Amino acid sequence: MRPFRPQYFLREARRSRVRQVVGGAHRSYASSATNPEVYDLVCVGGGPAGLSLVNALRSNGSTSHLKIALIDSQDLSKISHGQHNASPTDYSNRCSSLTPASMAFLDTIGASPHLNTSRVRPYNHMNVWDGITGQHITFDWATAHGFPSLEPNPITASAISSAESKTIAYMTENSNLVSALLARSAALDASTSHPLTLYSSTKVDNVELGTQSEDPEGVDLRSWPLVTLSNGATLAARLLVGADGPNSFVRTFAGIQSRGWDYERMGVVATLELESPTAAEPESATAYQRFLPSGPAALLPLPGNYATLVWSTHPSYAARLRELNEEDAIAMVNAAFRLSSVDLEYLHTISSGQADEVAWRLQHTQFNNDLVPPQVMGIKKGSVAAFPLRMRHADTYTGERVALVGDAAHTMHPLAGQGLNSGLLDAAALARTISDAVNSGADIGDTLSLEGYNTARYAANHALLGAVDKLHKVYSWQSGPVVWGRSLGLGVVERWGGLKGLFMGGASGGA
Amino acid sequence: MAPIHRAVRARKAAQYVTRQPQRCAAAFSVLNRPPPSYEGHIPLTTIERGAMAVSAALGSLWNPYRGDLISITGETTATPYFIYRLRDAMLRDPTGRRILRDRPRMTSKTIDVKYLRTLPANTVGRAFFEWLEREGVEQDSREQVKYIDDEECAYVMQRYRESHDFFHALTGLPIVQEGEVALKAFEFANTVLPMTGLAMGAAINLKPAERSRFWETYLPWALTNGLKSKEVINVYWEEQLERDVGELRAELNIEKPPDLRETRRVLREKRRAEKAARQAQ
Repeated sequence: MRPFRPQYFLREARRSRVRQVVGGAHRSYASSATNPEVYDLVCVGGGPAGLSLVNALRSNGSTSHLKIALIDSQDLSKISHGQHNASPTDYSNRCSSLTPASMAFLDTIGASPHLNTSRVRPYNHMNVWDGITGQHITFDWATAHGFPSLEPNPITASAISSAESKTIAYMTENSNLVSALLARSAALDASTSHPLTLYSSTKVDNVELGTQSEDPEGVDLRSWPLVTLSNGATLAARLLVGADGPNSFVRTFAGIQSRGWDYERMGVVATLELESPTAAEPESATAYQRFLPSGPAALLPLPGNYATLVWSTHPSYAARLRELNEEDAIAMVNAAFRLSSVDLEYLHTISSGQADEVAWRLQHTQFNNDLVPPQVMGIKKGSVAAFPLRMRHADTYTGERVALVGDAAHTMHPLAGQGLNSGLLDAAALARTISDAVNSGADIGDTLSLEGYNTARYAANHALLGAVDKLHKVYSWQSGPVVWGRSLGLGVVERWGGLKGLFMGGASGGA
Repeated sequence: MAPIHRAVRARKAAQYVTRQPQRCAAAFSVLNRPPPSYEGHIPLTTIERGAMAVSAALGSLWNPYRGDLISITGETTATPYFIYRLRDAMLRDPTGRRILRDRPRMTSKTIDVKYLRTLPANTVGRAFFEWLEREGVEQDSREQVKYIDDEECAYVMQRYRESHDFFHALTGLPIVQEGEVALKAFEFANTVLPMTGLAMGAAINLKPAERSRFWETYLPWALTNGLKSKEVINVYWEEQLERDVGELRAELNIEKPPDLRETRRVLREKRRAEKAARQAQ
């Protein structure tokens, strides 16, 4: 076997011409892209999954020399700029909860020190309850026991200092994460001789297979995806990574089917201002989720008195929520965690006057005050948005010189807050697979080299998607045996610390 | 659920803060009755409630004119589930919600019979007045609900009770036992309150001719109309007094059953005529 050399990859491309020239006669020769720039890896999509993959590869000694390009249609510098100048009373409505496993990965790739910690809120307590029966479960590591091996991964980062062993997850804006990943990337650019080629505010116009060069000494790119960008540049990719979201262009190019169904629900998000923080200390907080028949409503803590809302509900209800004036909308959010589902159903059908109705119903409704979040006092202007909820899973994550990560590979209901986390774990696994291929001298775009990635993530994600899908379905019932059964099940888990520890281990990505 | 939590919190507070006797923390029993949650409320233990339900049901079967026992049966069998279902039916309806919010009471004081007399013949109020006249009853105050723990559900039961005479007026059913049983069957199909279903058991007290009439005419009418009509608990009677009674029946999707008092009168006269004819022979 040849010794490993950094130049290996480009030489391999040249060499493969010899191998393919004989059997390649049936291939059609496209005329475009006569002079593409050749990259080891082209990543389409600069979201958390794509950026963390690139950072993981560049932080690892065996893959740091790879020639990498990243393309995103948004202006990424705007995200970092916005994050740097954001006021401590102004939070974006797109937030995620990062599990300890995700945080550990961000530590490994050196991104967590770049997170703006003043905009991260760890939480160590979670209240989840059934909107029909009121049966509840509370999660914190103090009440879960019996599975010491499932303690969350120790967070070594100096950035997130205290209470790490008790933390369930870390809430932060997606923009904070993206800007940390960009900052880490910029830091790597400064310290290495292999800078990342970043195409920001650039769209992918076309992806097609390359051709054999006219020049006999040229590169044979017939199995290589050629990516044509909106700025006219053409990139040839040894490995093309699709991190381009649910409607992935790369997935379509690779001919990979994505299957699943729409939930006919919308996720309503908003940034909330609370009467008081969910906990007195900045490093401890509580996340709340109530399962209503129309979908779960979740209130997740942000720093200070702020919180983010993720309320999955019927499209017509979501549309109504977005039309309400601020007073009525605030009343609806408070009602979502307190009033009966019968009341909520009615409140969703009237066009105004919710505040008045809610004030009246609160006098006659019994709810557990220890379980519900603090009163919502304000909703940030313009922060109410909605997106459709879907379940999709690609048939495979890999193809010839193609790999999919994050939402491009799978989309799930947000009720477990695992979408972004599973995307980060995809990136970690793909980076490992690529590094293994490099270390064994294999072609990183080869389907065989990529198989390890598919093996590592497909089944795990499939199980997660299935579990989330079943939870959604079980909690859509309003009455009958399913409701009794789910309450009984929740009650058992609540009382049995060991089982709870197992669930929490799974939820925090430690299992 | 909430009282339990309150008790747990109280116990914790007692442990940490004071050494006062833990009266409120002790379990609810006949020796330690929690305070009433509304005026007139008497909290009952499950055993007490069960015993009262059984004895009151048997008592009212023995003597159907004991309205107090019928009330007790109604209240003690309304939980769990049934009264909450009826309350939720009100909360799902805009008018039902308004009733729950205003909590109007119907008594001889709030419904003025003199005013009802002045209403045109086809109105709900006039129909009610005529029913009162025909049956020779007075719009009197109904028994206060005592044994339902939730104060809002207690009002729902009160409202049902006070609406009962309007159901009579709307259907034209008389207060004789045959009419009451038919109306209870209608109410059972419509409100699903267990007492109204149990009251159908009073059909065993009916005379054979009445019973066959109940099975053949009034029970089928009651069940079909009770099921297909809207929830009658959601009628704001106080606002409907001047409304056309036929129009209200149409809106609620209720057909008027055959006039029971008239049927009974015709049959009675026929019987009398036959008897007179026999005696004349």
